[in-house]
Amino acid sequence: MDEHAPLESAGIEEPLDLVRLSLDERIYVKLRGDRELRGKLHAYDGHLNMVLGDVEETITVVDVNDETLEEVIRIVKRNCEMLFVRGDGVILVSPPSRA
Amino acid sequence: MLFYSFFKTLVGQPVTVELKNDLAITGVLVSVDQFLNIKLDNIKVVDEERYPHMLAVKNCFIRGSVVRYVQLPAPSVDTALLQDAARRERQQPAAARR
Amino acid sequence: MSDLLKELVDKPVFVYLTDGRTLVGQLTGYDQAANVILSQTHERIFSSSEGMKSVPIGVYVVRGETIALIGGLDEELDEGADWENVRVEPLDPVFL
Repeated sequence: MDEHAPLESAGIEEPLDLVRLSLDERIYVKLRGDRELRGKLHAYDGHLNMVLGDVEETITVVDVNDETLEEVIRIVKRNCEMLFVRGDGVILVSPPSRA
Repeated sequence: MLFYSFFKTLVGQPVTVELKNDLAITGVLVSVDQFLNIKLDNIKVVDEERYPHMLAVKNCFIRGSVVRYVQLPAPSVDTALLQDAARRERQQPAAARR
Repeated sequence: MSDLLKELVDKPVFVYLTDGRTLVGQLTGYDQAANVILSQTHERIFSSSEGMKSVPIGVYVVRGETIALIGGLDEELDEGADWENVRVEPLDPVFL
């Protein structure tokens, strides 16, 4: 296939090329299970497997009070210096400026 | 292939594998395969009080698809090399990828 | 995964299935897809209201896709454990 789209010279052909531009930048990742990560992107692949550095994980937990059935939202934060993230849990990846 | 090669560089290092059901297991990385199935030695479940089920299990194979995270020893990760590898992997023509 | 199983053949193993069930038995065989054959298998049933129950279920063929984890069992540690008094919830299923 011979393609000469104008964006090709910038190396942008597909969505994941935009992830490449985020290498060495802090990104925001939304994951299944009400989890969010903020960290520096060191590597990724086509499955959106990633390695992130200086990661802050935010987990949103909904506790239901047994008696009142009231839902209480609790935010749990965790930090990790270096984290491999399996891509099948990834919902979206975004540069941090928009997060 | 990038992460398969990457994990191979971490063989012998202590890692913590967190499964998609929150169970976390710490151990020494012994080997990894192309599916990112992981073999650990000298394992310990992080929350042993809640999960005593595996108290007599000393080594294990974890199916890659049940893994959520792997916590890595930061000093053993060459981030510059990793970023280079990630850039290079994407520059290959689409047909040669995967 | 299958390559990783070679050294456990003929040894006692602990198998954690993705539905949360746990089995112990001798690993008799396996194949490329990490399907395994267990012999002298027992299902270990955990409960928070009573001690662990070990139910003999004989020879079992387990489909590789349903296996979350396989571990080598340290027989000494296992026999020394006070399983009758281990009262805990079963392991959680893994939702892929």
